[in-house]
Order: sequence, then structure tokens, then C-alpha cells
Amino acid sequence: MSNCLETNLLGVTLKNPVIAASGTFGFGAEYAPLMDVSRLGGISGKGLTLNGSQGNTGIRVWETPAGILNSIGLENPGVRHFVEEEYAVMRQTGCAVIANLGGHSENDYVEGAQLLNQVDLDILELNISCPNVKEGGMAFGMTPETAAHIVRLVKEVTRHPLLVKLSPNAFDLVAVAKACQEAGADGLSLVNTFLGMAVDVKRRKLVFDNGYAGLSGPAIRPIALRMVHQVCKAVTIPVVGLGGIATTEDALSFLMAGATAIQVGTATFGDPSAMLRIIDGLEQYCAEQNLANISEIRGIV
Amino acid sequence: MAVVMRNQEISPDIFHLVVGGISGGKCGQFYMLKPNDTLDPLLGRPISILDCDDEHNTTSFLYQVVGKGTDLLSRLRTGDYLAVTGPFGNGFPALDADVTLIGGGIGIAPLYYYAREQKRLFPNRKLNIHLGFREESYFTEEFQELADEFSVNIGGFVTDDVNFDRQAIYVTCGPGPMMQAVAKLCREHGKELYVSMEARMACGVGACLACTCKTAKGNKRVCKDGPVFKGEEIYE
Repeated sequence: MSNCLETNLLGVTLKNPVIAASGTFGFGAEYAPLMDVSRLGGISGKGLTLNGSQGNTGIRVWETPAGILNSIGLENPGVRHFVEEEYAVMRQTGCAVIANLGGHSENDYVEGAQLLNQVDLDILELNISCPNVKEGGMAFGMTPETAAHIVRLVKEVTRHPLLVKLSPNAFDLVAVAKACQEAGADGLSLVNTFLGMAVDVKRRKLVFDNGYAGLSGPAIRPIALRMVHQVCKAVTIPVVGLGGIATTEDALSFLMAGATAIQVGTATFGDPSAMLRIIDGLEQYCAEQNLANISEIRGIV
Repeated sequence: MAVVMRNQEISPDIFHLVVGGISGGKCGQFYMLKPNDTLDPLLGRPISILDCDDEHNTTSFLYQVVGKGTDLLSRLRTGDYLAVTGPFGNGFPALDADVTLIGGGIGIAPLYYYAREQKRLFPNRKLNIHLGFREESYFTEEFQELADEFSVNIGGFVTDDVNFDRQAIYVTCGPGPMMQAVAKLCREHGKELYVSMEARMACGVGACLACTCKTAKGNKRVCKDGPVFKGEEIYE
């Protein structure tokens, strides 16, 4: 039963289908004092941009019922710094290493992807869905044409399997997903955060300097699940599901809806052991249900 | 899991919480306290260590009710369990020097453990403590027992009570404008200063970058690189 969770994702063998979501787990070292990070299937590192960024000003996180609005704004050390420093840290975790690349322009994406060829990533996750940067990644993920264009450009230069992270804010998510597949994406991850906002009523002002912010957490889970289900029915490439997953049951729902693997993000903040509990829970589920591998339930609903 | 041993309102909206089952934190560090196991609120609340008793494995906190999370925290009764992670953050430096502590409001909390540690490690060094409150003071007797010089200011400016000409290192925690005023006075008098910062946090471990603050050395994470910084890093 020890291999019941082993999962092939884009040609990479993961110990299990549980991946730390980008932006919630640093580059893998931060949570090491609190949990056995090496047990995770993979880690998607903090979203990178070519030249790095200081991120957004003002309040960056605001709690909502069963969710969090965030406006971090892709604060990151830049691709070059990642190649020289953080990559080695991620590699030491013993988990599949996924670099998450965002950008402000075509050139940012292409040059960033080229630089990332210098390290042996397991997967490159292309972020065309961050809602928190003006003229940022989300703009590319909004329509099938712009998404396909960027995917095509990056696919031409990268030597890594390409996972494209989609925005639930797209006008027609299924159309974007299909376009990415046609443009050469090896897999899709969805969903990134939903665009939301908050008002500080006492101060009669917007909470976030940037106005709108990204909503994550269990509050978005049913919508994310529906979107993953729709996309899984429409494409043939593997889908990584995420959006508010906090428990084993949540993870099973996404897998049954068709996801090959899942990512956990916000849940880790409230409970650093959330992903380990999910891994244990999935193992137990396989044992109870006599599954040789968790993939047997993939897409059964 | 940690257990509540005491959770008492000692002043309007100010609670003294003693938690059993956790200890070993350093002064200036904090824990993420999560009073509920439901999804709303989702996050723990970063609360500074007021005091720590390694022998009895207890850690105490002083917190102010300001929102949903701290309101839920205030409803915990003796014997209730709460989820605790930590301790997090860098903590205060042990200083073999005379030290002047300047605390404002709920910002006094981390200074108490620090005062106790300074007195224990350097009993012959002078410890001056100046506390300021907006309307009502609390936890002042405990501070007074440790202080060589002591003052409490209610409704005014705590900085009016502080002698910035001493051969001392200054340490402050409190509202932003107060710490900014302290930093200005320390700069004018050429004094070394440490500040303990507060920020909205999600993870507490340096992963999410929600609590980033701008410093002279670029962005720093309050939860991981701080919460204690050199004064000149934060206030130019």
C-alpha cells in the first residue's frame, strides 16, 4: 500500500498528489521547523517575476468568512536570484520542485523561462492568473487568445514540463483551458484566487491600496471544484485542482472531479499540518476502499 | 494542543491569558493563537509572549480585543483547548547595558518578559520603565517591581516622561506614532534603539509575505526577520 498515492504528473513521479500552492509556502524552508516538508508530493515556490518585485504597499491580507483576501503583489527576489539561491533550497526538501513564473510582459515570461532552463526543475508553473499586479499575469489569462499566445511563446523556449495556472476570473475559463492545451500546455492548474474587495467602513476607504484583491480559502471551494470539473471534462491534459482545499474530503472531491493532483494553500496558514493530515487521510482512504492507487477515483463523478 | 489556565479581563477589552502546555519561547517572540477549530476566522492571531514559565510549562499573554479573532479568544474559559503554533520571531537582544523600556498600550506586553530577562541576566544594570496608556493603565505593578525608575502616563505622551540623555539603550513597543516619536528622540540624542513591530499576518513563519515592512535594508518580514528591529532600520 505504500505506493498507493504515487502520482505521475506531467511525467514526474510524485510521492503523493499533494502539492503546496504557490505563494503560501515560500521556497520550502519556512515551514520546515513545524512539519516534515519532505512528505509532500511537491512544492510550488513563491511566484517569480523576471526582475523581482517589492510587492504591493498597504495592507496585504484581510480575513473574510472562511477565506482570506490577499494583495501581496508578487513580492519576490527575481528569477536570477531563484536560480542562484532558492532553487537549491527547494531541491533539498526532497519534494518535486515546481517554479511558478509570472510576468508583466511577453518578454518577462520568455526571458524568465529561459533563465529557468539553467536549473533542473521538475515542472514550470506558468502564472497567467495573479490578480494583484497591474498589467500583470491575470491580463494574459483572461481570454483564450492572450493565454494561448503566452503559452506558445514559453513552450517554445522552456525545457521543463509546462503547467499553466489559470484564473477563475477569465470570461470563459473552459475556452481558456482548451486554448492553453492547443498551445502546448502539458497540464493546467486551477484555480488561482477570485478577484474580491473589502471596504474599511470605519475609515470609509478601500482596505487595499490596489483596490481589489485575491480571495482564497474554503469560501471559494465549491466554485473552484465546479470549475475544475468543467475543465477536466473539456481537456485531455492533466489538471491540478486547487481552491480552498483544507481536508481529506476536500482533496478527494477534487480528485473525483478529475484532478490528477491537488494543491493546498490557505489552509496551511491556519493549520501548518493540513497537508500532512490530507496525505494521511488519502492513504487511509485507499486502504479502506481497497484502492491500489488513488488514481482509480480520478474523474469518477 | 494547549489548555487555557486563566483568561481574565484585567481592564476594559484587555485580557490576561495563561496557557498550559507551552513554554520555551524567548522574550520578544510570539505565538499564533487560534481559539476555534472552525473556518471563520481561518487564521491564528499573532500574540506576543507576556511571560514564560519553563518549569511549569506555561506561557502567558496580554491581548486586546480588537476584532473577531480576539473576541473569540476572550470567550475561552479555564480548561478550554486552543490551537497554538510557535514560538515565532527573533526576540529581543540580551543587552549588558542600562536599558530604558518605553511601552504604549497593549504594546507593553512583550516588554514585561524582556524586563524580567534583563533583570535576571544583568541584575546590576539599571532598568528604567516608562508606560503610556490612553485611558486606563493595567499590569503596571508587575513592571514596577522590576524597575529602577518607573513612570505611568495616562492620556498624555509617554515620551514626556523619558530622559533621553541617559547612557542607556532604548527599547520600545506600542502604537506606530509613539514609536516614531521615540525613534526621532533617540536619533536626536544619538541613542541606540530597538523597536518591536506589529503587523497583520497569515502564516507567521515567513512564507506568505503578508507582514512585510519597508526598512532601510529593503523589505523585511515582521514575523520572521522581526518583530524586533533596530530603530534606524524602520524609522529613518
